[in-house]
Amino acid sequence: MAKTVDSYRFLDGIPKLTMKHWATLGAPRQIPWTPLAKPISQCTVSVVSSAAVALKTDRPFDQEIERRDPWFSDPSFRVLPGKTATDDARIYHLHINTSFARQDLNCVMPVERLSQLEALGEIGRSAPSHYSYMGYTVRPEALLRDTVARIIGQLRQEQVDAVVLVPV
Amino acid sequence: MSVGVPRIAAIEHPFGLTLGLPGDAARQLAVLRAALRALEEVSQPGTVVHLPFEWNPSEKLNIYPPEPPPIARFLRRHPWYVPKFLSRTPPEVPEETGP
Repeated sequence: MAKTVDSYRFLDGIPKLTMKHWATLGAPRQIPWTPLAKPISQCTVSVVSSAAVALKTDRPFDQEIERRDPWFSDPSFRVLPGKTATDDARIYHLHINTSFARQDLNCVMPVERLSQLEALGEIGRSAPSHYSYMGYTVRPEALLRDTVARIIGQLRQEQVDAVVLVPV
Repeated sequence: MSVGVPRIAAIEHPFGLTLGLPGDAARQLAVLRAALRALEEVSQPGTVVHLPFEWNPSEKLNIYPPEPPPIARFLRRHPWYVPKFLSRTPPEVPEETGP
């Protein structure tokens, strides 16, 4: 029998109830749709991770924003090149155990695996830029209005055909 | 605010381990490949592809952050805000809601 994923398996108590309730919020609306224009073996692919990953040489995500106002978090994003190695990056998300991704960035941001798929000819190429933002907020307006718009702008500039969104 | 996702590749992995365990390049590659296959195969907006990967329950892992997230600490001290959190209607004045 085909597997049915239990999205709540690793939650319990209040967080589990909250996530189940959040899934019921909001009126259904039309889902945007863009057909894939070519086979994935010809596509330029980028990764967007919500783990709040930044290069050590880049500006850190500001965790104090969320500590001051726990309904919100730093709404900015960081760009990571395809060659980013685990030792090049730090992870700033406050809701996960980041020790796994500190050992191996591919747990939450699979840029090395994407390069492997490029070498195997399974995708066209890994995009020059990959992206990360802080995936917790109850006030998503700034994230959706500014950050998402800027990420999409850069994806278009780099002629990216497909994006893998990696939630954590 | 509701969000409709055009294509979902659902996976039963713990938080912080979306692609797999550290060093498990084979699993990470298989998950990424399966997600990209879903992208090619899905033709209806809102489709959820349930990826077949099983998580071994014998892996005893601490998936929690070293300290509780700020919102958890805040709600413990201000439980009357729980309904606002559940309904995703945060208070207007952030200065008054620090942990």
